[in-house]
Amino acid sequence: MEDARLADTLNALIAEIGGKNEAAMKQLYDLTSRRMYGLALRIVRQPEWAEDVVQEAYMTVWRTAIDFRSTLSPASAWMALIVRSRALDLLRRKAVERNHLTDELDEVMEQTLASDLPTPPEQHLASEQALALQQCMDRLEQRQREVLSLAYLRDLSHSELAQQLSLPLGTVKTWIRRGLDQLRGCMGKLA
Amino acid sequence: MNLHRHPDRLPTLAAHYALGTLRGPARRRFEALARSDADVRFAAFEWQSWLSGLNETQASVTPDPAVWTRLSNLIAADQADVAMAQAAKAGTSTSLGWWHHLGLWRGASFAGVVATLGAVWLGQNLNQQQGQKIVALTQQVQSTPRVEYVAVLTDDKAGASLLVTFDPKKNELTLQRVGNYVEASDKSLQLWALPPGKGPQSLGVLSGQKLMHLTVAQTQVQAVPTLAISLEPKGGVPSERGPTGPVLFKGALIQKAL
Repeated sequence: MEDARLADTLNALIAEIGGKNEAAMKQLYDLTSRRMYGLALRIVRQPEWAEDVVQEAYMTVWRTAIDFRSTLSPASAWMALIVRSRALDLLRRKAVERNHLTDELDEVMEQTLASDLPTPPEQHLASEQALALQQCMDRLEQRQREVLSLAYLRDLSHSELAQQLSLPLGTVKTWIRRGLDQLRGCMGKLA
Repeated sequence: MNLHRHPDRLPTLAAHYALGTLRGPARRRFEALARSDADVRFAAFEWQSWLSGLNETQASVTPDPAVWTRLSNLIAADQADVAMAQAAKAGTSTSLGWWHHLGLWRGASFAGVVATLGAVWLGQNLNQQQGQKIVALTQQVQSTPRVEYVAVLTDDKAGASLLVTFDPKKNELTLQRVGNYVEASDKSLQLWALPPGKGPQSLGVLSGQKLMHLTVAQTQVQAVPTLAISLEPKGGVPSERGPTGPVLFKGALIQKAL
């Protein structure tokens, strides 16, 4: 369940940051940077890239906090969306520079991430909708969960997924279709 | 795919749209439909908002402390830029008037100043080398005990020229020239603190030496985001007047994180 007080805290901090309060920025960073870095790392996989993403994302927060109210999103969702779009921007830039996305790298990162476990997502900082989705994702098979997450987080097509995961295209399509069907059933009941 | 003929396909298409796996012409057709059909729009929006939860539920990982250090420096620089812009807008008092001149100077006469700085600054690899030098120097200084503040003052090409450290125990600023810039014999370089919302305050005039020390109170450098060096008549100018010559070098004053 979303901790309403924490959500209020995030909103209040972002309002302060809109008024260029550096101390509020530090507090927001302390509260949220582990989440945001975890997300960035999941998308771009390389720690130094993820650091760049987090840095850019928090500068975006610093500069656009004043517009946050008009987004009508929960603060946690708003910040996460900024991180994801910065991360995808970085991947696009890097893809132009060189085609660097390999399966080996994925494996290295899985291990890196695994070594950081057990670090459950800090659920009290997620929005209610996100927690509902997580419940539904938890009911999927691991492999369905994985392809759905990767497709969304890294903005990958069926064939890019098949290539990155070394799976037949048909298998990827089937897992995604079934995963989406089950998610729809589950979210329809929860949301 | 004709959605009007197969309305049962809408949930699946909307899901693939939101997930990102609907691509190319199919994606564009779906978007065109969404513009004219509220049901399609709603289905897409609902899936987008569900899936955005994936952004919030990834495992947490602690970033390197250096990320915050870099961020806080960027933020300080951003604040200084804002202060400068505001001061330039206000621009009536004598000290604030100087801020105005800074903008003018940067715009209009930077090219001339660069020329006098000499070709050495313009070497092709120099920027990169200087960049690495700044990183190395900053690291070196940050690893030295008792140094609480550090600034690397650079020109507009990010070439390092002066390394400034402040030791609050001794109230001592140490200035080390690291570039090749040499002022003319009838000129002096003067160091200024640029506190937010106030006019520049002189911290002292540089000798011709590579290394020199100045005694300043901690209050003079505390909460000061930026230091700058201006080119002044020999011996410098009084602090109240503010800089009269161009600003050659400036940089963020960074408080050591650890």
